[in-house]
Amino acid sequence: MAAHRIARAQPLPFGVGRITPGWSMIVAILLAGVLVGAFAYALQYTEGEVVTGMRDIGTMGGAPWGLYIAFVVYFVGVSFAGIAVAAIVRVLDLERLRPVARMGELLAVISLVLGALSILADVGQPLRAIVNLLRYARPQSPFFGTFTLVISGYLFASLVYLFLEGRRDAAILARTPGRLQWLHRLWASGYRDTPAERERHERASYWLALAILPLLVTAHSTLGFVFGLQAGRGGWFSTLQAPGFVVLAGVSGLGNLIVLAAILRWALRAKQVLDDTVFRWLANFLLALTIVYLYFLLVDWLTSTYAAPAADARLAAVVYTGEYAPVFWTSVAALVAAAALLFGQFARRRYSLALVVVAAVLVNVAAVGKRVVLVLPSQTHGALLPYVPGTYEPTLVEYGVLLGIFSLGALLLTLFMKVFPILEVGGHHAEVGS
Amino acid sequence: MTRYGMVIDLDRCTGCRACMVACKVENNTPVANLWMYVFRFEEGTYPDVRVNFMPRPCMHCDNAPCVKVCPVGARFKRADGLVATDYERCIGCRYCEVACPYGVNFFNWKEPAKSQYLDGKDATVASVTGGAVPPYDNPDLDAPYGTERRRIAGGGQLKGVVEKCTFCVQRVEAGRLPACVTSCPVQALVFGDLDDPKSAASQRLESKRSFRLLEELGTRPRVHYVGGRPPTAESRQIEAVRAKV
Repeated sequence: MAAHRIARAQPLPFGVGRITPGWSMIVAILLAGVLVGAFAYALQYTEGEVVTGMRDIGTMGGAPWGLYIAFVVYFVGVSFAGIAVAAIVRVLDLERLRPVARMGELLAVISLVLGALSILADVGQPLRAIVNLLRYARPQSPFFGTFTLVISGYLFASLVYLFLEGRRDAAILARTPGRLQWLHRLWASGYRDTPAERERHERASYWLALAILPLLVTAHSTLGFVFGLQAGRGGWFSTLQAPGFVVLAGVSGLGNLIVLAAILRWALRAKQVLDDTVFRWLANFLLALTIVYLYFLLVDWLTSTYAAPAADARLAAVVYTGEYAPVFWTSVAALVAAAALLFGQFARRRYSLALVVVAAVLVNVAAVGKRVVLVLPSQTHGALLPYVPGTYEPTLVEYGVLLGIFSLGALLLTLFMKVFPILEVGGHHAEVGS
Repeated sequence: MTRYGMVIDLDRCTGCRACMVACKVENNTPVANLWMYVFRFEEGTYPDVRVNFMPRPCMHCDNAPCVKVCPVGARFKRADGLVATDYERCIGCRYCEVACPYGVNFFNWKEPAKSQYLDGKDATVASVTGGAVPPYDNPDLDAPYGTERRRIAGGGQLKGVVEKCTFCVQRVEAGRLPACVTSCPVQALVFGDLDDPKSAASQRLESKRSFRLLEELGTRPRVHYVGGRPPTAESRQIEAVRAKV
C-alpha cells in the first residue's frame, strides 16, 4: 500500500522548491546579519580578542570568559529539546509529538553547529582548536564533553538520526521530477520503502534513539561539569550544576521548539498537522521542566546563603543583591511568570497558543540571563585571593559575532525548508502495521 | 631526584617589586601580563594599620587545576616540578585561567609585538636599538626544553594563547636561578630543589613556620611562604590594580 503512495507523483509539499518574495526577503535580512557577524569576527581575528570586553582574571580585573561561553551553553542547551523530543517520540512511541520530531532534529543539529561556532569564536587559536581538540583530546578535561564529545559525537549522532528519519520522505519526494530531485534521491539513497526495509529502518532508528538519550544527558552534564568541578573560584563548585544544566537545557530547548513550531504553523498554514494537541504536550513538558528548575534555584539559594563558605556567600550576595541582581531576578521572574502561565492553562485544561508561545519566549529570556549569571560572577567576583573585583562589559564586536551566529542558524533553517519538507509528508507511523 | 620549588620569605620582602620588573625583562611578557606580581596589603583601621607584602608567582602546583582542565594537554606537569605551557599546542580557550585560583594565567589579547612597553618603530627607540623589535628579544626563549623537548619558555610568543610564569625554565635548565630570585635585593625569594634537604630553599623552609596559599583547595603548591601570614578577608590592596592591555 505504501509503495503505491510513493509511486503516485505529488507536487512537493510545504512550499518546498517554491521561492516566494517573503522568503527571499527573510533570506536577505539573515544574510545581512551573517555578514555583520563575519565582519565583526574578521576584526577580532586580525586584531586579537583585545576588541572584546574580556580580560584576564586577577591583576587585569576582567573575565576571560564572556558572552561567547554563555551562548555556547545556551546553544548546546537548545539542542536538548530537539533531539529529546525526536528520540522520545521514537522510544516511547509518542504519536502526538511526531509532527515536531523533524524540526526538533533539525533544531538540534543547527544549534549544535552554532554552539561549535561560538566556541571557535571564543578561543584565541580557532584553526589550531579544530585540529588539536581532536588530535590531543583529553577526556580528563570537562571541556572534552563540550567540544570533542558534543560536537563530534552528539552532532554526528543527530545528523545520522535526521538522515535516517528523513529517508522515507526523501524517497517519496524523489518521485517528483524537478530541480531538487537529485537531492531527494541522494537523501533516500536507495530506500524504496519495502516492508523489509521499513522494518530494518524502524529498528535502526529505535536503537539509535535509545543510544542518543544517554548521550544527551552525558553531553549536557559535562557542560555543567565545566563549571561544577571548579573549586578554585567561589560559586561554581556544586553537584547541582550538572543536573541543573540538563534541566535548563530542556527548558530553553522546548521553548525554542514551541516558538519554531508556532512560526511554522503560521507560515506553512499547517494548522492540521501542528494541531493544538502538539502544543498542549509541549506546554506540559515545558511546565514540568520549569518547575523542576525553579526547585533547583530554591535549593541553590538556600545552600548558598544559609551557612555557605565565605567565598560562596560573598558571591551569592553579588548575584542576589549586588551587581548581577537585575539579570538574576529578571530571569527568575521570567521563569516564574512562564510557569504561572503554563500552570494556569494546565489547571483549566484550556490552552491558548499565544500564551504558550509567550511562556516559551519568557523561558528563553530566562535561560540566556541565567547563563550569563552562571558564567560571569564567579570570574569577576569569585577570586579567593584579595584581587580587586573584576568587570566585564561586552563590546559591539561580541554582539556582532553573536548576531552573525544567530542569523546563520535562522538562515540554515530557512534554506532547509525550501529543499526538504520540515514536516513529515509520509504519514509514517499509521502505515507501519499495515 | 630534583624537584624544584620556591620559598618566599615574607619577613624580608619590602614590596619593591624589582622581581616584577626582572620577570618582564627576562621573559619579554606583553603589557599588563604580570607573571610575577607583588601584593601590597593593608589591614586594620587608622591608627592601627599594618602593611605587608606578598609576591605571587605561579604556584607550580603538584595537583594543578590548570593541568587537569586543559583540553589539549598544552599545560603539563614536568617531572622536575615545573608546570609548563606548550604555546605551540595551546588553543587559547582560557580554561586554565578560569580554573586557577591564584590568577596567574595571562592570555595574549593582541599581537605581542604590538603589546610591548617600547615601540620599536619609534624613531628615538630605533636609533638606540638599531631597529631590532622587540629590542630585548632573547633567543633562549625560543628553544625547546625538558625531556619533552617542547617550546615552553618566555612570554609574548603568539597572539591568542595563554602564558604564565615558567620559573624561568630557560635559566634553570642552564643551571641559573630564575630572574626574580637573582634580582631580589634582600634574598626574600629562594629557589631550589625541595627534595634535597641541604638546598638553600629547603634550609630556608625549615628555618621558620611556613604556609602555602589556599592550601585548603588541595592544589599542593610548590611555592612555600615563610614568615608573615596568609592574606585574610580583611586584607585590602593598597592600590587597586587593573592593568590595561
